[in-house]
Amino acid sequence: MGQHDFEIHKDRLLDEEVWLATTSHGLRLRVVPTERFQEAAAMVSFRYGSTDLGFVEGGGAHRSPEGVAHYLEHKLFEDEELKVFDRFARRGARVNAMTGFTRTSYHFTATDQVLENLDDLLHLVSRAHVTPENVDKERGIIAQEIRMYEDSADYRLFFDFLGGLFGSHPVRHPVGGTVASIADITADELLACYHAFYRTGNAAMAVAGPVDPHAILQAAEGCKLASGKAPESVWEEDLGPVLRSWFERELQVPRSKVMLGFKDRDVVGDPEARLRRHLVTEILLDRLFSPSSEIREDLRRRGIVDDSLSFGYLSDFSFGFSSVSCESDDPRAAAEALRRTMLRPVELDEDYVDRVRRKMLGRYVRSFGSVRNLAFGQAQEALDDITPFRMLERFSSVTAADVVARQREHCREDSCAVAVAVAGQQRPGNGSAIPAAQRS
Amino acid sequence: MVEAFAGFHATEIEGVPVLWLPDRRFKTFRFALQARRPMDRRAAARSLLPGLLLQGTRRDPDRPALARRMERLFGAVVVPSTGKEGECHVLRFSLDSIAPDHAPGHPDLLGDGLELLADLLARPRLENGAFPEEVFVRERTQATHAARALFNDKAAWATQQALAHACAGEPMAIPEHGGVEAIESLRADEPEKARQDFLAHGEMLALAHGALPEESLLERIGKFLRELPTRSPEPIPASRHPEHRTRGATVERATVQQSKLVLVFRLPAADSATWAGRVLFASLLGGGPHSRLFREVREKHSLAYYAHATLERFKGLLLVQVGLDQSAAARVEEEVLRQVDELRAGTITTDELETARAGVLSALASVSDGIGERMEFTARQWLLGQDRSPEQQQELYVHTTAAQVAQAAEGLWLDHSYLLAPDDEGV
Repeated sequence: MGQHDFEIHKDRLLDEEVWLATTSHGLRLRVVPTERFQEAAAMVSFRYGSTDLGFVEGGGAHRSPEGVAHYLEHKLFEDEELKVFDRFARRGARVNAMTGFTRTSYHFTATDQVLENLDDLLHLVSRAHVTPENVDKERGIIAQEIRMYEDSADYRLFFDFLGGLFGSHPVRHPVGGTVASIADITADELLACYHAFYRTGNAAMAVAGPVDPHAILQAAEGCKLASGKAPESVWEEDLGPVLRSWFERELQVPRSKVMLGFKDRDVVGDPEARLRRHLVTEILLDRLFSPSSEIREDLRRRGIVDDSLSFGYLSDFSFGFSSVSCESDDPRAAAEALRRTMLRPVELDEDYVDRVRRKMLGRYVRSFGSVRNLAFGQAQEALDDITPFRMLERFSSVTAADVVARQREHCREDSCAVAVAVAGQQRPGNGSAIPAAQRS
Repeated sequence: MVEAFAGFHATEIEGVPVLWLPDRRFKTFRFALQARRPMDRRAAARSLLPGLLLQGTRRDPDRPALARRMERLFGAVVVPSTGKEGECHVLRFSLDSIAPDHAPGHPDLLGDGLELLADLLARPRLENGAFPEEVFVRERTQATHAARALFNDKAAWATQQALAHACAGEPMAIPEHGGVEAIESLRADEPEKARQDFLAHGEMLALAHGALPEESLLERIGKFLRELPTRSPEPIPASRHPEHRTRGATVERATVQQSKLVLVFRLPAADSATWAGRVLFASLLGGGPHSRLFREVREKHSLAYYAHATLERFKGLLLVQVGLDQSAAARVEEEVLRQVDELRAGTITTDELETARAGVLSALASVSDGIGERMEFTARQWLLGQDRSPEQQQELYVHTTAAQVAQAAEGLWLDHSYLLAPDDEGV
């Protein structure tokens, strides 16, 4: 196998390169060969996540219970010998997986025997040892995981917020489902989803570290995943006004929490255009809420928000939303102030544009600081066929007018939802050291 | 003063040990200064310092001005923070920046960053020798909220409570933030006194690593250190180890669905080789999917969602943390003790030991891949007096036998069992 199998992209500023290839079975591969690190990281990612609850294949419509993608991720770590973790651990490798709204990813880091670990990672995703017995056995563990998340006020608040923004889109459901929804998941269901979505045409792999790209490509060629594309996921279009503009519930938190945000009323199919929109929205939120913003400082001095304030934007092919959250003693006043702040037309002067350009350059350079960042970032970009190393180019094309226009488009009265976790009962203790402990 | 330590160059400037290692593999660099003081009643005043210092300097009138200065340095991150290492309170200041080669015009990002750090640390915005009253009141309120908010992270809360109960009467029981009541009762002049105390009497260490400019590096660090007040460092008292006593038990209730069990074990003082054996012991017990707790408690008996074991080297503790259903707590504790006894008896298979060893060696091999990880490792080695690089540290683990692992756990005893369990609403 020669260099002609790869398309090589270089970043001249940082002197880095990424090698792109597609295996004969259609698996997209990216390799970042670098001797800067002793450790290597690899990730196999599938475009299949918690929002993929419906698909059509063979003329028939399939509906899944909430939490099926996450359940499947758990099950793939099981094989006939129950030794998946052991195989990696014996080589000192750390293996794990994560399920998100639109992706499921399996990854490892290792300082030795990278190719053997890669073979095991590819083997792990290329078969599903799913039986009614082992599905039932896993249910209790997953229920424990769900309960653990449900004990987190931030998690509850986030999904209360999404439940307000979206009336029908499955992004409104918790990624892992609920204890009730996973009760309906069967071995047949998991296998149907596995065979539908775990295919080379719906996957991408990235490896970064002191590796030989040709050897990696050879290992990828041995991948036993079924070929072909996944069926199209189907969901009801959900781009209208928010389902509910306000929702609150009492939770056992020391102080009330507010989350407010806006829903995108249109979606962008082209991945490159979507990334640009993402960037422009991030700049808008940075202008309003970063520590350097006089707008945030004014809210802070008036006691409306404090340092718990955080913000973000998330989008994919079928949904997009911004969010701002903070703790507050007066959640109504905080929500109203944040809503007004986001609706009031923003101004961006030359000084801000210069600073944010510098900050973004710094962030880009830092993204090359670990093999995990490199492998994970490339796997995600590969899934959407994003051209590597375009961030700075993308960023330099953004103008102040783009940000102003994006605010007008995104921040609309009927696109806004608020969720509040109202401080409920007292916690045990008060955070102080308790002097006496009972001994038995 | 030695000329090298744990793979770093070493020197002393202005009475402060300075460890540095330029490494062009990286595209960023970091400089950090840390000072340690014993954990005591001043903890609350110290923990308020990072928040207060970020509200401005004599040169930067407020927080946005300070943040804008960092943005102009290509998003340099200049952060004060506090931490707890055993029974010590640590105040850290770090400068994290991209290498000048990657910025247009190759500006002096180290020099400018150190100047910013000096402004933050040595020239805070004060009024009449104290932080401005308005700023102090706001930050005290913020710190109180943050301390209470720890309850939102149930696992962290359970660990804090377990240590408070197990180590009652010892400095270890004081939470890093000093406690809500202590924060609430702070006076405006106390944080500035705590800053001066840290700078004058703290046991200091400076470290630099990454894509550092080699030319006049030490001169620049020296210039920065000369900005600090005259110092007379005070030694840190040794930790007390209580006599073996009957296991204590605490159950606290809250509206939670998943219970948290924390078992606090004590370990006697020991040398580095013994601690290496203990690291393997903790790994075998609950250091990942290969461990006894994962395989027996989670996978075989389905008693918990997570179960892991970690060491607190500075204080000499082994903590076992488990997320489980309340009904399983007694069985899990019994199983943990059974596994501890088996490991102490040397009932360890070759496969188990080699897997634990591979994990520890791999983790050490990857330490040098991260600027922060390598600096943290080196600072820790300094505090422990262990002059070994990550590669040399690996040698401690290569030949450790099952018998040595078992022996390393001699003197281990369960001091306290803490359970955070659901109240009626959480069930």
